[in-house]
Amino acid sequence: MARSTASDRMRRVLAIVPWIVANPGRHTSEVAARFGLTEAELLNDLSVVFMVGLPPYSPDALVDVQIDDDGRVSIHLADFFSRPLRLNAAQGLALVAASDALLSVPGMDADGALARAIAKLADALGVDDANPVDVHLGNAEAEHLSVLRSAAEGGNEVEIDYYSFGRDVRTRRRIAPWRVFADSGSWYVHAWCRKAEGERIFRLDRIENLAVLEETSQGAPDGRGEQPAIFNPKAETPVITLTLDSDAAWVAETYPCERVETLDNGATRVTLAVTAMPWLERLLVRLGHHGQVDAKNSFDGADGLAATAAERILARYR
Amino acid sequence: MSVNKLERLLNLTAVLLDTRRLLTAEEIRRKVEGYPPPGPAFHRAFERDKDDLRVLGIPLTVEKVPTTDPPIDGYRIDPDQYYLPDPGLQPDELAALHLASLTVRLEGLEDREALWKLGGLDPAGHLAVSPSTPSPASSEMSSGVVASLPVDPALTPLFEAITSKRSVVFTYNDQERTLDPWRLDFQRGRWYVTGFDHLRSAERNFRLDRISGAVTVTELAVETTPGRERTGPLQAWEIGSEDPTKTRLWIDGSRVESASRLLGPDAHRIDGDDGSAVFEIEVVNFDAFRTFVLGFLDRAEVLDPPEWRTAIIGWLEAVATGSVPDNGRQDGNHG
Repeated sequence: MARSTASDRMRRVLAIVPWIVANPGRHTSEVAARFGLTEAELLNDLSVVFMVGLPPYSPDALVDVQIDDDGRVSIHLADFFSRPLRLNAAQGLALVAASDALLSVPGMDADGALARAIAKLADALGVDDANPVDVHLGNAEAEHLSVLRSAAEGGNEVEIDYYSFGRDVRTRRRIAPWRVFADSGSWYVHAWCRKAEGERIFRLDRIENLAVLEETSQGAPDGRGEQPAIFNPKAETPVITLTLDSDAAWVAETYPCERVETLDNGATRVTLAVTAMPWLERLLVRLGHHGQVDAKNSFDGADGLAATAAERILARYR
Repeated sequence: MSVNKLERLLNLTAVLLDTRRLLTAEEIRRKVEGYPPPGPAFHRAFERDKDDLRVLGIPLTVEKVPTTDPPIDGYRIDPDQYYLPDPGLQPDELAALHLASLTVRLEGLEDREALWKLGGLDPAGHLAVSPSTPSPASSEMSSGVVASLPVDPALTPLFEAITSKRSVVFTYNDQERTLDPWRLDFQRGRWYVTGFDHLRSAERNFRLDRISGAVTVTELAVETTPGRERTGPLQAWEIGSEDPTKTRLWIDGSRVESASRLLGPDAHRIDGDDGSAVFEIEVVNFDAFRTFVLGFLDRAEVLDPPEWRTAIIGWLEAVATGSVPDNGRQDGNHG
């Protein structure tokens, strides 16, 4: 651990002293654990507090820190530090947003301790609305989330009916879940897939049915604890190059691009890996004239794809 | 940095909190131990200490001392601005906050000090969240980070404005907007702010990553109050400034369930005999709606209103022929 700077220690002291004032007679080991310190670090911080006080700095005007023979600590004569410093905006935001995010997890008790804590915190921060920050981590059914989490913990395999958005197909597969997590507005399960015999990531809102199997995930590699990359194109994946006008610049921010260039006329040229054709068809019909395929720098047949897809959709309207 | 520096900062804070009247720099020098004698060295040390207090978030009041001529700066810390009002958190509530900070990470925002201020972590009780009201997810959630949220630079000033009930000014789509911010939302991986937009004199949502430049918190007090309470997450076609239009959308049976999940419980659904369904949706952003519909490729069809149906057909014909659609609907206002 890096050596604490004076301001780090100041922040700590300004929080610890009010707590000891309000909770006299607790053991130094308890206080240290509560603030994530070793006992030695706590005693070191308290040794400075001994020297703090008001003029004329006579003994009766200095903060009185007492630690008895059993290691129980009390602080007197510290009226000016009887309450902690207010939370600043970033601290209030961090706590409220993290709490609201956890509360949004399907299956969490909407009236439990966390919900009450958020309301009290909002009140202390001076917000009228009990919910100044609303975090929605993603759609998932509470039961799916809970089944996959317990399967990951217990090492069970799960059978899922999965809709693959990119390839526009439904499949049934057996997976050994490793970890369930939320990222960029969706819930995912990182798992070993028996069907693909490989590591896969599934979006929970595309799992249509699931059933826990008796089998434990024996024989499947254990990837728990590993951080998955959500998009990891293989080297042989075909690429497409698009020229985007300013209305379509969002493509560069939304998809992982292999290359992004800004052209002289303000347009953007991006090169994307294409992992599934239905995904690309969707992108191209959505972009319309805002995105042009650069046929020379794309896989064969890329330039006719949008027109074919548009004709297929038009057939429905005619 | 030395222990002496820490000691001096603590004494300075204590003296400034304790005083009822403004203290001049010279009075502070005499009251607080550890300062150099009068002169440039003291001046430098005092300036550095004032900066340190500000960085720590300590509210230092600087005003002219009334009886001085020429006027001299006086300093104090207003206890009402310094002290955190006691939120009255029960141990299980504090433990729940701690659990939240362990499982949800806000990239680049530090909440450890905030938890210290609220009383630290109860070492015995942090895993037993709310034994009286068991929440099925909580014990599993204790096993590590489940989500991390991106942090936009505009977030902190907007939250500061919400808590201090002041308006903000920022640039959006090359226009300067004045907003009374009410609420921050994180939806589908993005942050939004909702509030009263002075330019449009109405409630509006803004995407934080589309704000260009800094968000300035003004001195202007917020006088408006939030309108309707929202129940579900905001959809892209609900963010816009067009007049609300009721539309009917047909969805093929193979995609009905996922469409239903995407549209949420508020969308009215009429099931057909063949497993397909028609959804009724209110839209204020046609472009966003068209993008949503086209995501279903040939498994969705806009039924009403007729002019939107025509606009979708026009769009698709342009894609099919590689031209620019000639009707005016395709590039609505994103205001």
